[in-house]
Amino acid sequence: MLYQLAVPTPIEDVEELRVLEWHVAPGHAFAPGDLVVELETHKAVVEVRAARAGIVRSILAPVGDWQRLGRPLAVVSDTVDEPLPDAADTLAVMHVDFEVT
Amino acid sequence: MSAAAPAPRVFFREAIGRALAEAMGSDPTLVLFGQDIGRFGGAYREFTGLFERFGAQRVRDTPVAEAAMIGIGVGAAAAGLRALVSITYMDFLMLGLDPLVNYAAKACYKTGGQVRVPLVVKATAGARGQGVAHSQCIEAWLMSVPGLTVVAPATVADAYGLLKSALRHDGPVVFVDHKRLYPTAGELPTDAAEVPFGQARVCRRGDAVTLVAHAYMVRVALAAADELAREGIACDVVDLRSLAPLDVATLAASVARTGALVTVEEGQATCGVGAEVAARVREARGGEPFRVARVAALPAPVSSNPILEAACLPDAARVTTAVRTLLS
Repeated sequence: MLYQLAVPTPIEDVEELRVLEWHVAPGHAFAPGDLVVELETHKAVVEVRAARAGIVRSILAPVGDWQRLGRPLAVVSDTVDEPLPDAADTLAVMHVDFEVT
Repeated sequence: MSAAAPAPRVFFREAIGRALAEAMGSDPTLVLFGQDIGRFGGAYREFTGLFERFGAQRVRDTPVAEAAMIGIGVGAAAAGLRALVSITYMDFLMLGLDPLVNYAAKACYKTGGQVRVPLVVKATAGARGQGVAHSQCIEAWLMSVPGLTVVAPATVADAYGLLKSALRHDGPVVFVDHKRLYPTAGELPTDAAEVPFGQARVCRRGDAVTLVAHAYMVRVALAAADELAREGIACDVVDLRSLAPLDVATLAASVARTGALVTVEEGQATCGVGAEVAARVREARGGEPFRVARVAALPAPVSSNPILEAACLPDAARVTTAVRTLLS
């Protein structure tokens, strides 16, 4: 199954944020608890960790790109061969754990 | 026409940081004073990197002593340096009003122009859940001080452009950075220009009513204008940017077209920015009639209770109600 990795919500006071660093490259797998991406708010860093296993298929927001809360950052999937959709918006949102530090 | 690279998008704090870094790079006499502006990088991280780049001599952490901070800033500026003093909560600017008003603003007049005080007081204003003495917007108090320039950006580009102008000005400037603007981001071209004092910005065109605001309330006015547009009420929205001097010409020209003026501010209505705007437009318009309403904080302290805080402050709903009432 395909999912979208979206900017988690809610983050207090934040409307949009900037991608600071990807920790999993396209085509690579992640396990539950893995740090997938770090996001930068106006005064904090948001660590986004996978709550399930999967594979990053396509990064939609590379480092330095901006995205609003709830909007997609990447397409992920359970297996490596599932064909990618045209748009990520309609995909189910993958559950993540996140911490604002 | 060649295709220009898209302007980089930055956080509000980064626009301030860039203006400070550029000014410090080009003017070796510029010194910064503030609480936690050194290694910590400032309460909103707007001073990040400056201590490492320019050192402890020029980026000076101070005690919690606003009267002394501004007093030292005034003295340093009068003695030949250029100073920026960061006041983390505008409420505590009250402690520094004596050196700011009685010395910095008057030095040029008292000395026949021989002593200039190139001082910027950056005062962070506005309510964000911190209670009666950490939430106030007192910029209207300062507008009546001869010799004092007061500016209040609403956007990333204006935060940069107004601060750059302030850091080149030869007299004291109060730069009001509203704390609710810090989470915002916006485009800041690599060749961004300074924003001159006394030039308002018309940020939305309409012919039914003129909405006038500054700082964070520009966003509230624009949200109200969006809602009113759906009802067929087209708002002219003017961002003051500069409170002293006021751009009366732009305000009067807008009201000449709309015939109705609604001012929006987070401070108090009594002797507020809106009162001054309305009076100045009235003088500029002579006998031409126009309708006026002011939207401001309720005449009560801003509570730390979030429900009471929201009840005290203007929001888009209060602005739209004021406009509908005025036009009905």
